[in-house]
Amino acid sequence: MIQLGLFYIAATITIASSLLAITRHNASHALIYLIVSLLGSAIVFYVLGAPFAAVLEVLIYAGAIMVLFVFVIMMLNLGAAGVKNEQQWLKPRTWVIPSLLCLALLAEIIYLLSSSNQALSGVVIGPKAVGIELFGPYVLAVEIASMLLLAGLVGAYHLGRRYLIDMRGESI
Amino acid sequence: MINFLPLLPLMVLTGVILTLMMAIAFMRNLALSCGVSVIGLALTLGSIIWVNLNLEPAYVTPLLKVDDFGLLFSGIMVISALFISLLAYSYHKQRGEQQDEFFLLLLLATLGAVTLCLSVHFASFVLGLELLGISIYALISYPNQGQFSLESGLKYLILSGVSSAFILFGAGLLYAVSGTLSFADFAASGIGSTDSSKLFMLIGSAMMLAGIGFKLSLVPFHMWTPDVYEGAPAPVAGFLATISKGAVFAALMRFFLAADGYQYESIMTGLYWIAGLSMILGNILALLQSSIKRLLAYSSIAQFGYLMVAFIAVSELAGKHLAIEGAVFFLIAYFITTIGAFGVVTIMSDKAEDHDLDNLDAYEGLFWQRPLLAAFMSIMLLSLAGIPLTAGFIGKFYIVASGVESQLWYLLAVVVIGSGIGLFYYLRVIYAMTKKGLASSEVSIPVTSSWTMAAVTLLLLILGVYPAPVIEWVSNMALQLI
Repeated sequence: MIQLGLFYIAATITIASSLLAITRHNASHALIYLIVSLLGSAIVFYVLGAPFAAVLEVLIYAGAIMVLFVFVIMMLNLGAAGVKNEQQWLKPRTWVIPSLLCLALLAEIIYLLSSSNQALSGVVIGPKAVGIELFGPYVLAVEIASMLLLAGLVGAYHLGRRYLIDMRGESI
Repeated sequence: MINFLPLLPLMVLTGVILTLMMAIAFMRNLALSCGVSVIGLALTLGSIIWVNLNLEPAYVTPLLKVDDFGLLFSGIMVISALFISLLAYSYHKQRGEQQDEFFLLLLLATLGAVTLCLSVHFASFVLGLELLGISIYALISYPNQGQFSLESGLKYLILSGVSSAFILFGAGLLYAVSGTLSFADFAASGIGSTDSSKLFMLIGSAMMLAGIGFKLSLVPFHMWTPDVYEGAPAPVAGFLATISKGAVFAALMRFFLAADGYQYESIMTGLYWIAGLSMILGNILALLQSSIKRLLAYSSIAQFGYLMVAFIAVSELAGKHLAIEGAVFFLIAYFITTIGAFGVVTIMSDKAEDHDLDNLDAYEGLFWQRPLLAAFMSIMLLSLAGIPLTAGFIGKFYIVASGVESQLWYLLAVVVIGSGIGLFYYLRVIYAMTKKGLASSEVSIPVTSSWTMAAVTLLLLILGVYPAPVIEWVSNMALQLI
């Protein structure tokens, strides 16, 4: 029963932070809530008995957004005015709520890892089972997904080039 | 060990994509890129025919099934992509450097379409849909200049993303009650037997239908269509109206036939309304359009309404065979006609600077300046209207026949009314072309485009005058399905 309670807490946090993410005016605040939402869904996956999916959620999605964050800060190269602005933005009300949500998730994961409870569905699917499925019956899905990435890459390259042309007013 | 030989068409197409990518990496040359993709698509078509003649229908992993239905639709997609590549060549030649990726993205989108045609499992269905979708986002916003294409690319990105989310959520709900993602196992899993599973099933399939309705631009979900078609480059708009819709339709049909979606009364009622509203609203909204692209967009909504009549007719056991045959033939005719119509817009826009030449004013007096082009356009429009001697007539005839066989009287009345309205706006374009209008400068049609248009028109007339071989072929395919 405790598992079920944990599931509902994590699910509520996920939905609430997703709603907060799409209603923020500042993009970086929205990104923070997006990360909380992804961490929450990772816990949901873990409680449901899919630890591998939970790890991927954190590594790939939350990790990718962190990298995006760093890129944005690097590219904007704000300088002294930016630092001042940042101090203005960093009021408690912008970081207290995400921190509290994260703390709740942290408490959940610590409890889950320390207790030896079964997963909610009764079956735990580990990385090995996922791998066997992916390279067994779903091998074509992996192949098609690789072409999907190629399409995304070519498209992003072409559209990014347009941005460069607009910026410099010349062809590259 | 899995036998991958039936997947030869997909492998050839993937090989062509990689070859083209390497060719672009080493040497940028538009003629070379176009040549590689055209030859590659021809090879793919050859491999489809070879597989169809030499191999038995077979599942290749639980994800894909290579059978006559899938191969026929794949063949249609590949031929259409071939025509669109040929038409796009001169269009892109006029538009500055670095146009080669267009063909790469076109091939990737075609790969997604072929995957959709062969898929019998939600995993491959969603992956094919996304491969098609992601390539199309980039294709729509392909031009380097101008805001229109970027705007419509963004619109398509958001709406298509939302519709994919609907499809995924619906598939998730269906999986929750049935425990399977494979189309064929749905029928066997006995869902809908208890009350709670019935509710899940209904919500799940309603969400899936909403998502698929977006992709097919059927009426309650059609808002994006005219804007996106108007902003997209003409060849891409042709691609959107044909391959992108046709592949989703193929997957929908396979899903309904395998999972027996026809047994659910409420889903069929929903489809009934969707078909009727698409025909009425599509035709009425097309009436007073001054942009040919928008007109064709609304007309494509109406045409898919007609197609849905045959799709619904499949539910009646008596008319099942005729309805499948009719739907497929109608789709073939629609493909040829739409590619031809957008082909003319492409040729007209070859020299246009910023925005495609799609305003009706620009077509005034076309019969006197470029008679051949005007003749092509007229034949395409007459076929869309369903005038005899064109493939569109036989297609429309099939729709009516399958509706009669399955006794869908209300929908048939709407088909008749819709066709009447349709005649008005198709003829309006032809009338504009016969006016003694603006004297624009004499421009010759590029060689590749003129031969391609001639081939498309010839195909259209052959299908209209002597459709027997194609009908027999489609009919054999339909027999295997039931």
